Amino acid sequence: MTTATEARTVSPTDERDAASGSVELQQVMKRYGDAIAVDGLSLTIQPGEFISLLGPSGCGKTTTLRMIAGFEQPDAGDIRISGRSVLGAPPYRRDVNTVFQAYALFPHMTVAENVAYGLQQRRTPKAEVRQRASEALDLVQMRRFADRKPTQLSGGQQQRVALARALVNRPSVLLLDEPLGALDRQLREEMQLELKLLQSRLGITFVFVTHDQGEALSMSDRIAIMRDGRIEQLADADTIYARPTSAYVAAFVGQQNFFHGTAVEGGSAVESVHGLVRGIRSDRLAPIADGTSVQAAVRPEFVRIEADAAAGAPATGANRVQGTLLGVSHLGETMQYLVRLGDDQSLIARRPTPEAPDLAVSSAVSCSWSDASVQVFPSDDAAAAGGYVAPPTH
Amino acid sequence: MRSLRLPGFALAIPAWAWLVTFFVVPVGAVLYFSFGYKPGIFGTHATDVLSFDRYAEALSPTFFEVFMNTLWVGIAGTLLCLAIGLPVAYWMAVKAPANRRGLLIALVMVPYWTNFLVRTIGWQIILAPEGWMSQLLQTVGITDGPLEILYTRAAVLIGVVYNYLPLMILPLFVAFDRVGPALREASKDLGANRVGTFLRVTFPLARPGIIVGLLLVYIPLMGDYITATVLGGAQGNMVGQLVASQFQAAQNWALGSAMAVLLILVIMVSAAAIGLLLWLVSLPFRARNRVVLEASA
Repeated sequence: MTTATEARTVSPTDERDAASGSVELQQVMKRYGDAIAVDGLSLTIQPGEFISLLGPSGCGKTTTLRMIAGFEQPDAGDIRISGRSVLGAPPYRRDVNTVFQAYALFPHMTVAENVAYGLQQRRTPKAEVRQRASEALDLVQMRRFADRKPTQLSGGQQQRVALARALVNRPSVLLLDEPLGALDRQLREEMQLELKLLQSRLGITFVFVTHDQGEALSMSDRIAIMRDGRIEQLADADTIYARPTSAYVAAFVGQQNFFHGTAVEGGSAVESVHGLVRGIRSDRLAPIADGTSVQAAVRPEFVRIEADAAAGAPATGANRVQGTLLGVSHLGETMQYLVRLGDDQSLIARRPTPEAPDLAVSSAVSCSWSDASVQVFPSDDAAAAGGYVAPPTH
Repeated sequence: MRSLRLPGFALAIPAWAWLVTFFVVPVGAVLYFSFGYKPGIFGTHATDVLSFDRYAEALSPTFFEVFMNTLWVGIAGTLLCLAIGLPVAYWMAVKAPANRRGLLIALVMVPYWTNFLVRTIGWQIILAPEGWMSQLLQTVGITDGPLEILYTRAAVLIGVVYNYLPLMILPLFVAFDRVGPALREASKDLGANRVGTFLRVTFPLARPGIIVGLLLVYIPLMGDYITATVLGGAQGNMVGQLVASQFQAAQNWALGSAMAVLLILVIMVSAAAIGLLLWLVSLPFRARNRVVLEASA
């Protein structure tokens, strides 16, 4: 009855036809009482794609995933998996599997029995169950733990078992609900690499839900930045990072220095109390009228910092500010400088460690950046999510 | 200065003291009396000559019949409690809105706070041939004559199921609640439907709670004599009544003690036998779902 079996009968040599593994969400809406969790969301996921749904908690990313899995039904809109609408279909009739946030391994079964569970439910012959469970455990290097109970495993090992338990069913789409959230940092980075390799090897569509921008940036083919039940921007990692379409996306992915003020020079520059911040107007973005309230964003890695020779002298020219160095932190590959510009504005600069200037705390410093590194967005109070936002000036 | 530290088992001393004073000593006394005899019309027990005679006396055909009746009511009552309590507990723990659970538990508990005897007499009124239930059934036309259920084994069964149902529902509720929604979702995600999910995930994980519920109902039910006295009459005799009548009416503590010891033995042996039976029944299912992989290549 599953679409995978049908796909196989259509083309016995190739396990997946063209549409198999695609996911389409069309104007999907989900409400909980008065609260709208997902608000007319549309998204087309290509077969074999690694897509991340990224956003803060409450943005609707997990609800979206749960609707694809079948744990929730949308109030409006359509969901199509492998080209077929799954509206009303329970989870056990969908050709998708989920890796859960807390793994949800069955505590009363061994690792092998957990992995075999999905196959047993599909009445797979015993010999095949054993063979495929062995293969799946080999895939995640957990074969030697086959007879352990989940409680006897570490978090990372449980994670691998959860992955094997889902992959053994050969789903067209694998849904991952913040699967790395419970792991420590080093293990998380290892698993990110492994997941990405596994995904490209198996060619299965991965839909990955996370609030961790680093995870999304390092693994995804495309990232959907979500906000209030909608997709704010959908693009690959480079585009999301370098050319965000809104202050919200700019703030959520990576860190930003924001300068608030009024738009001048045809919407390409901001007149702020700390001087003129000028960027290059991009045609991709909606035009901004002069005089409206805007904010300019500059990433810390684009900010050059040096000792201020003429301390106290007013800043001259655009994209140049003076301030007092509040502190220096060593981040490993980079050094981070926190500079106080005024009573309510500070600035972060980051330089690669080998070329980082040696500056004394409390000394006067001068910071500058190029026009190309500045982006101007309409003001958005909610853009505080995630990245560093300097407090607004009055 | 060294502070005084008691060993850890000191925490259990109150419980031990209670158990020894009010359980071990009385049961020991009953066991001891059961080997004695009734010395005359005015004596209750004597233990200067010990024998198994009271046991032989207790195992008379009449007594055996009552024993079988007790066992029947005990097993049927416990199974009925399970059959009624399991869906209710599952619904309360899984389906009912989370903010209503407190209210539902209270509704299960409230009748239990009422006096046991009062509730049982309530059933006497309901089940009486001239009671409202009887009249209703006749008016509606379900029965031709008055309800002939009071003072039968069926009435005892209705009474014990009503009286012991909360003791079944509460442990089952806790057991189902503890399984949590995540594992059920994982099961459905892996292709199991509702029945499959219940049989392979919810039920096995709730099994300890189910066993607790069965024991909590079965053990007091087997020794119950109030329900049988109020609703049972001659046909609904239970061992508890015989024991009580030996101690109170016949003043034969020796025979009463022998009956009580036999009752304890029957409860223990039957509970163990039922447990063993259930375990044997589960063996083929366990074997079917077992997965053993060959050593890694």
